[in-house]
Formats: sequence, structure tokens, C-alpha cells
Amino acid sequence: MTSATDPRATRRGFLTATAGLAALAGAGLPPSAAKTASIADPTVEPFFGRHQGGIVTPAQAHTYIAAFDLAPTAKRGDIETLLRRWTAAAAALSVGKPVEIPAEGAAAAEADPSDVLGLSPSRLTLTFGFGPGLFEKDGADRYGLRAQKPKAFVDMPHFPGDQLVPARTGGDLLAQACADNPQVAFHAVRQLARLAYGVAGIRWVQAGFASDYGKATPRNLMGFKDGTGNPAIGDPREMDAFVWAGDEAPLWMRGGSYLVIRRARIALEHWDRMSVGFQEQTFGRRKLSGAPLGGKNEFDPIDLDAKDANGDPLIPENSHVRIAHETSMAGAKVLRRSYSYNDGANITAERWPPWRQGMEFDAGLIFICYQRDLAAGFINIFQKMSRFDMMNQFVTNVGGAHFAVPAGAAEGEFIGQRLFEAAS
Amino acid sequence: MLNIRRFGDLAAFGGVMVALTLNAAPALADGVLEGLHHHPTLASTITDNGDLNPYAVVVAPASVGKIRQGDVLVDNFNNLSNLQGTGGTIVDYNPSTRSMSLFAKLPQNLPQCPGGIGLTTAMTMLTSGWVIVGSTPSADGTTTTKGQGCMLVFDANGQLATVWSGSHINGPWGNMAVVDNGSKATLFVSMSGYDLPGPDKHDPATGQPVIVEKATVLRIQLAIPPGGLPKVTSQTVIASGFAQRADKDVFLIGPTGLALIGSTLYVSDAVQNRIVAIPDALTRTGSAGTGRTVTKGGMLQRPLALAATGNGHILACNGKNGQVVEFDPESGKQLAAQWVDSNQAQSPPGNGDLFGLAMAPDGVGFYYVEDDTNMLAKATP
Repeated sequence: MTSATDPRATRRGFLTATAGLAALAGAGLPPSAAKTASIADPTVEPFFGRHQGGIVTPAQAHTYIAAFDLAPTAKRGDIETLLRRWTAAAAALSVGKPVEIPAEGAAAAEADPSDVLGLSPSRLTLTFGFGPGLFEKDGADRYGLRAQKPKAFVDMPHFPGDQLVPARTGGDLLAQACADNPQVAFHAVRQLARLAYGVAGIRWVQAGFASDYGKATPRNLMGFKDGTGNPAIGDPREMDAFVWAGDEAPLWMRGGSYLVIRRARIALEHWDRMSVGFQEQTFGRRKLSGAPLGGKNEFDPIDLDAKDANGDPLIPENSHVRIAHETSMAGAKVLRRSYSYNDGANITAERWPPWRQGMEFDAGLIFICYQRDLAAGFINIFQKMSRFDMMNQFVTNVGGAHFAVPAGAAEGEFIGQRLFEAAS
Repeated sequence: MLNIRRFGDLAAFGGVMVALTLNAAPALADGVLEGLHHHPTLASTITDNGDLNPYAVVVAPASVGKIRQGDVLVDNFNNLSNLQGTGGTIVDYNPSTRSMSLFAKLPQNLPQCPGGIGLTTAMTMLTSGWVIVGSTPSADGTTTTKGQGCMLVFDANGQLATVWSGSHINGPWGNMAVVDNGSKATLFVSMSGYDLPGPDKHDPATGQPVIVEKATVLRIQLAIPPGGLPKVTSQTVIASGFAQRADKDVFLIGPTGLALIGSTLYVSDAVQNRIVAIPDALTRTGSAGTGRTVTKGGMLQRPLALAATGNGHILACNGKNGQVVEFDPESGKQLAAQWVDSNQAQSPPGNGDLFGLAMAPDGVGFYYVEDDTNMLAKATP
């Protein structure tokens, strides 16, 4: 999914210098200011549009994701105000401008901490999502939005092997920053969190990275090429069929998409002890070339019927590729936009024989996927994968969330405005 | 499960023994293992409530209630948190439709079953339709909180009918040997729970959890009136003093597999890595102690479930690798071992994956479970 042109060829200094001046002046700019940014600037991704940024945007090198819980005291009007401020902030941040932060109390704090002064916008995108709790929590229609909850926005079932930690799971609101610079991404979420003080608090955050492999398919931490077989972003028909919510969705959701995030911890110490031959059997692909077993090149067709001399399938019956391909052939497709993560090390107990225990890397994949329908997409695919995929014995889902990512905002509009208007 | 069972692949793994046939006495019938070459996985044994870790494998001897003759029943020892001794489900695999369905589901706690519910490899189905299964429960997934357990009796529609517990029942563990005459039946059950401490109580001499030599084999005689509940008419400890110990990874290690040939009961003594014989098992009135050693070590790597092959041999599945070992109980000769689970994610391959197994009704091949992937699999020609 990486852009063919190097997205990191930045013009450091120019935009950011103006941004810095504005910040020092404490001048907040209205969202329409985004219009003034040069569209041709390779470090700027558009914020306003039919779809939100950060979905089909060529993957930036870094992400910083934050899920928020709405405060028990928050009223519907507070949430609208927050979304209005988030929208304005996101539009400003994406062109490298500082965020307008309302003064708190008598002593007005600095509007923007200036830590990104001197950095380019780094192709920052901000993507916002609504968790189930915005529509209903513990049976209560807190904000009068329950009737607007899309039918396709169903609850996640428990999947075999799930060990979801509550502190890494769920959330009422989502803000995902993606940027080619990790500090720019973090800076953006930090400002959004600041704007949410008193209305929404952080439930969990997660940083991730996706290295630039140029034109090649990126590799995951297991060393295998990952991402072959996404729906074609350039094909509107395929995107409408599999990714964007259509006429079946409430008006505010059309042009949006349903997002699933899973924090998949990978037992890398365990994986690293495996022979390459076994790793390839697990994936169903060759490690170096990415070719499906039995093929020569990465994009060779996957032959599920090919047999070895013993009459056993060449692509093992529970290999990752076989299961992924079978579900794809059956019509289940999602747009994956995953990042790797690396959060230090901690004591863990693996959940497979021989049940290795001890200090292990807390690293793996922030699996991210978008789809038009959760049941037909991720749930359908993962029901099978969580039961049969040989890779499961190296991967444990320890966190997760799903969000309705509404359509993009037009200039002058805020993200989710159509939801609140529809429910008024 | 993996389909990497070809000789070359395994040989390349290094240091692992592959399906190897020792000097079988010419008079013996052909080995069962040598006729088996494929190991397809049949179905996931994970239930909708998330139960994991398949243990018992039982082939239904009759069509009664929900169960069709030839169905394969499998129970789960772990709950969705993967804590051992907390699983409470039995699933039913139908080989003709290749579908897996839930047969029975129990709550975590049942007043009649001391300690809770954690279904073990001690399971059988009688021709009258009753399904009998042992529970060796835990509250925290280790033997620290192990309860005495019980034997649960289900009707053929998966409804709990009665529960047996008492001083002779403590940690019903391994696969049962059964003689079923319709109106009467004899069950043999290994009991591996007596005075078992938690896994952190170590023997300073070995550095391992302490070994407690108190495990038994219990013979339970049943009367089954037509249309009525099976009734326990006698309980006799026919073998005792087996080694058992707690284990952080596999919960406990103790006498596990049972197979009856003639009147001799064969027991897998997992701690001592051997198979023993208990003579006159159907009729003896007292304990034979730990019996006579039939075979020890060799290809055995912590033998667990046993299955009589029908031609006088016995299959034992190994706990510490993914092999099934065939031996002749008469001569004590180990005949062959075959990788039925060569999952290299474990070292040695398949370590910790096998537990229950049962001969398929066609006489060729056998069913077995794989704990690594929570699957029912079959060894076939």
C-alpha cells in the first residue's frame, strides 16, 4: 500500500516555520484555513472530502491511535462541541498549523506545545470513529443516538483464543493519527486529547510503525510479505462493494466504513526458533519471494488443489494463505491497513504447548481493517481464521475495538455532524 | 494441524525419530500404524462459549438421542480463558455430515461435583445411550485449587442425569476401559487426584513438583435397567500406589490410559514412562498395586491415552512428542511409532499436543485430538 513516489520527500522548514509563528502568536485558525494549504505539497494529505483520510491514504510510516471513553458527565452538546473542535484541529494539524485550544481558567496555557516546530506536516491524517458506547451503553441511550446506530455495526463475538485485556479494548470514540513522522502523529493525538479534557478521557493508546518498502509489499515482524490481496483502492466498484458503507447505512454513515482494530501480540521468541521451512508451511508462502507454496513469484495464482508426492496438500490445509484465500474466494474481503508495534517486554505465558513463560517482547501487529459490513467482513473471516489458522499458535489477540468511521466532512462541516443532525 | 509428516521433513528437523519399525516377531499380526499414512484434521473442537483443550475421544457405539452411531464425542478441559480444569463442554462430530455440534454444556460449578467442572479424558458412551465423563476441576487452572471432582452422567440428548462422587473418586483422569453388556457394564477409571498439591511444591531432590504415590484405578460396576439411569452396584480399587504429580503446564501427570484385553487391564503410568498390566481386572477383589511392567522407555515419551487395536496390539499416544506408539502387550515389544502431530511449533514436534485417542469403527485408523490447534484429527490409510 506504500505509494510509488516516496512520500517522505519532505520540504522541511517551509510550512512548519509559518506554523510555528502562528503558534507563538497563539493564533488559532478556523478550519477553512486548510483550504489555503498547497494541495500539491507532498507532505500534506487532504483532510476534507467524501471519505475520511487515513483509510485509502497510502500508509504513512507511523500511527498513533487513541480510544476515548466519554465522561459520565458529558452531555450530547459537549460531544458535538468536541467533534467540532476535533475537526477544526485536525484540519489545521494536517497542514502543519497549530491547534486552537480554548483557555482553561484564568491563566491561559500555551495554545500548542510547539514540539513539532520545525517539522513538516508529514502527511498527517486524522481518522475519527464512533464506538458502540456512543449509541448505547449498558442499555442506556445516553445521547439520543441509539436509533442512528447502523445495523451493520454489530457487536464483536468472542473469538477462540482471544485474550482481550479490558484496558486495551473498546472505547466510545477513536482518533487515529497517521504520519510519516512519529512525533507529528503523537503531537496530533496529544492535542486532540487536550481538547477532550472533561468530555472524554483516554481509554487506551497504541503506537505503530510501517516501514517503507518502496514498491515492494511490506513485510511483517514475522518476516513475511503482508498485504497481498487487498481490494483494489483504485477500483471504485470494488471499494463500494467491500469498503464503503452504502445505501443500506444511515445517511451519516454512507461513504464511511466500519473499522476493526486488533492488537495481536506475536510470540517472536517462539517464531524465531522455527525453521524457515516450517514458517513457510505456516504461512503457505515462501519467505523470501512471497510466492505461494507451489508457485515461483509473489503474485502467482494460489493453487489450493496442488498435492505433494505423498498426496498431502502442497499448501497445508490450515496454513494462513489457504484460509485467507478460501474466505476471499467466498466473497469476504476487507481493506487491511495494519501497522506493527513494539512496546518493550513483559512477563507473559504463551497459550500453546509447550507453554513457554517468561520475559518476552510485547510486539506484534496492530491489525486494522475497514469494511462495508462487519459480519460479512472481519467477523466472517476471523471466525474461520481464529479456529484453524496455524499462525494462531504464535499470535494472541490481547486488545481490540471496532468503530463506525463516518463519512468525511465537507469544509465548514464537522465530522459526524450529519449523525447529530439526523438524531435531533 | 500440519501436513508436514513426510519422512524428509522430519529427518531434516534433526534428532527426531520417525515412524520406525522395530524387529517385530514374525508371528505377530501386522501393525496398525504401518497401514496409516495421512492425518487430516476433521473439525475444530472449540465451542461457541470458547472452551478449549480437547481431551477425551469417544466413538459412539449406538444411535441414541442426539448421537448417531459412529459419531465422535470430544470434551474440553479448559474454558475460554484457557485455564485448565475449567472446561465444561462435550462436542459431537458426525463423520457423514462432517459437522461438529455441541452435545452438552455444564456450568462452571455444580453443587454435586466437589470443586467444579473440568472435563477430562475419562469419558465413555454406553450402548444404552448414557454418556459418562469425569471431572477434575480447578478454580485457577492449577492443582493448587484442584477439587475432588466427580463422574457425570448425561442422557443421549446431552442433559445431565446424575452425578457420582465419593471417596473412591478423586481426579478421574485418563481414558476409560469399558465392558458394556447393555444391562450391565464395567468401567475402569484412573484416579490421579489424591492429595495432589499445587505445582509450586517442589521436591528438593529433583527440582520437580513432588511425586505423590497415591493414584488408583477404580472398577465401577453398573446395572442399567431398561429406560432407567445406570446404577453403581460396586466400586473396587483394583490398582493403587501409582505416581502422580502436579505440573504447571499440563495440570497433572498420573496414570492415564487404560485398555482391556481379555481380563488384563493395561495402564499407562505416565510419570514412570511405562505401561503396566493389572491381571484379573474384571474379577479381582483387591488392589494389584502398580501391577507388572509390560514395557518402559524406548519410544514411549510419557504415554497418555491407550487404545486396543483389535488385533491384540495397543496404541499409546505420547505426551512429550507428537507420536503414537504401537506395542504388543503380550511380548512387551514396541513395534512402531508414528508422528500423528509433527507440529514444529513445539519441541520436540507435537510436544504437549496429544491426549485422547480412539480406534475408528472401520478398524483402520484412529481418531485423536490436538491440543495445539484444538482439532479433532484422524489417522487414515
